Amino acid sequence: MKTIDNYEDQNLQHFFREMKVKDSAIAVPQFPKISKPKSWSLIPIGIAASLAVAAWFYLGNEQIRALDHDVIIITLEEGLNKELQFKIERTTELESWESPTSSLLTEF
Amino acid sequence: MKKPQLENLLKELHQEAYHWSRQCCSFDEDLAKDVLQLVYLKILEGKAEYKEKSQIKTWLFSVIRFTAYEEGRKEVQNISLESLSDLAYEEDAPEIDFHEAMIQSLPDRQREVLLLVFYHNLTLEKAAEIMEISIGTVRKHYDRGKRNLKALILKKTLHENNR
Repeated sequence: MKTIDNYEDQNLQHFFREMKVKDSAIAVPQFPKISKPKSWSLIPIGIAASLAVAAWFYLGNEQIRALDHDVIIITLEEGLNKELQFKIERTTELESWESPTSSLLTEF
Repeated sequence: MKKPQLENLLKELHQEAYHWSRQCCSFDEDLAKDVLQLVYLKILEGKAEYKEKSQIKTWLFSVIRFTAYEEGRKEVQNISLESLSDLAYEEDAPEIDFHEAMIQSLPDRQREVLLLVFYHNLTLEKAAEIMEISIGTVRKHYDRGKRNLKALILKKTLHENNR
């Protein structure tokens, strides 16, 4: 519904037309630049993430090393009937190994 | 609506939006700029969402009006209609534009509806939507506003003719 159609409103129209002319001289601030997330800004994050994964992959597996030769681990364990049994294991990897007895040398 | 499309529409409406912001901020340019920045920020952050239920201009003007009032920094000039109209055409008061002074002397709602209809070429329905009041109420303010502004213009004309 348009409202400005009466002859009576002509002076009002004239008033606002004048106002608009005056306002046209006012400097309107520039439309603010809207910063869009740029794809290249994600590159450092990607590199950091890749390095973190690589570090975890390599450093996490560092302790388990393949040995040049097979290792035979002989342990003496107490059986169900309190009898002593030798347990012989063979492995190609050795992360860490500790004697189950306090000292093989002192006890035997 | 996608963001680039919305951004383009906002750019097109920027000038009109600035003038409306200025009018909502009692013609305070600095405040109008701040309000408009806040409005764009609200839109970008999704705090003010255009749901395409109304025209974008109506929606944008509504957000600007709300933000201007929300800011609460709008200084309402409680100068009586008579004293302001006298001030508007005093020779030693060049700082205040007489158009703005006359508009400012009207009550808030009368001022808003006249600006929306005559200055921004909106219909009374759109004005009612922006002002968040019924069409009947907006019509009432429109009629009173026109009557008051006409009286002020007539007074100014008579004053100029008598000089």
